[in-house]
Amino acid sequence: MRGCKKFKKQMVAFLSGELPEDNQEQFITHIEKCIQCRNELVQLRNVMNRADILNEDVDEAMASVDWDALPAQIADFVFKKEPSLQRKASAGDIFKVIFQAKFRPVYAGVLLGLLLGSVITFMVLRVPHIKEMRGREFFASGDFLDRVDLEMARRDTLDYLDKSQYLLLDFVQSPPERLSEYWQKDFASSQAKDLLSKKKYMNHQLEKFQMAKAKKICDQIEFLFYELTQISEELSVEELEKIRNFIENRRILLKIKLVKRELEESEV
Amino acid sequence: MRGQGYKENDDIYTLVEKIKEGDREAFMTVTQLYQKKVYMLAYSYFQNTEDAMDIVQETFLRLYQKVNLFKRGKNFQNWLLQIAKNLCIDHYRKNYKRNKEWGWKEDIDEAHLIDYKELDCHRSKDLKLIASLCIKKLPDRQRMVFLMKHYNNLHYREIAQIMNIALGTVKSLHFKAAQNLRVLMSPYLEGGKNEGM
Repeated sequence: MRGCKKFKKQMVAFLSGELPEDNQEQFITHIEKCIQCRNELVQLRNVMNRADILNEDVDEAMASVDWDALPAQIADFVFKKEPSLQRKASAGDIFKVIFQAKFRPVYAGVLLGLLLGSVITFMVLRVPHIKEMRGREFFASGDFLDRVDLEMARRDTLDYLDKSQYLLLDFVQSPPERLSEYWQKDFASSQAKDLLSKKKYMNHQLEKFQMAKAKKICDQIEFLFYELTQISEELSVEELEKIRNFIENRRILLKIKLVKRELEESEV
Repeated sequence: MRGQGYKENDDIYTLVEKIKEGDREAFMTVTQLYQKKVYMLAYSYFQNTEDAMDIVQETFLRLYQKVNLFKRGKNFQNWLLQIAKNLCIDHYRKNYKRNKEWGWKEDIDEAHLIDYKELDCHRSKDLKLIASLCIKKLPDRQRMVFLMKHYNNLHYREIAQIMNIALGTVKSLHFKAAQNLRVLMSPYLEGGKNEGM
């Protein structure tokens, strides 16, 4: 018959009183009409009724237990076996107290504060970094600074040689009888003194940048200026002539010229 | 004994809270309230008093150990019977399945060979033996649903909660259990026709 399969599945629920009321009327109508299903329902009811006979067994077993004494026996057994539950519970209670619902806004606030603090700290620490980045517009590398120093040393040396050249040229070209008078003039002697002090400052630069040729000639010029600043009226004409010869023999003016040219060519 | 020191209207959640604090009286009250239900489930599963009592004891021990996991709003009886059901399965696996023992001396196949013709389904004693042997032959989940429905008088919805399965699955398992029982019991009910499942 049509729909038997569906109603067969409902038989057990019907016999157990678990078939929804909406389906019961339809089910009963089908059973009344379908002999096959009716027979099957009877068989199933017999089986379930016979299985229910075990309830008698359960009832007998239930009757054999002393239910009033059992809770105390079980409690003795349990509390003997698990005396530490109180302690476990207290540990659990601490956890509960810490994380109870009423503290949640506090924890949320603390969490939010930590988050904001972290962000602010991050921003604060980040600002100098930004400044540093901006400052990089004026940043100069060590190599660049070395090159600047070299260029300054070159220019200082050139200036020193230039001034020395003029002074020595004046000295060489002056007539022998007026040499002493020339060096006793304030201008010449003060210029020589200035150049001597400048040489002291230049020594470091000349050594640093290994300008050997320039250093050699500068040392000779320094020696000459040192001698010339010592000139006094008592210095004889012969002695002055000796100095001039020294300049000419050593070709100091020529050397100055060559070194100057070399320095001018090696412009950084 | 029941309710010593407690008002009758102390609800189960209050008792559970007291058990969590280690209150022995509350524990005994809960035991008093639910011991029969647990025993019925265990007895119908094992069909013997010793195993049933072991399960009752273990169930309440487990209740005491795990009471902190019970949440207010849950059905306490279903939660407790779920513990009992799991303990029944564990106990069965531990004590019977490996040793191929099942408490009864007679195996259903032996009953077929030896004395099924002599069994009289109209005799109450024989019918109980037939019923218990046939229920024993059911697959685990079908047996559990059948036992809960017929011997514990639980509703499908409660069984679904205890077994943690869908309501439709409970209906289906109950239907299959009944069908299988019909096949298993038919030789005894129909005068010795040995039909097999």
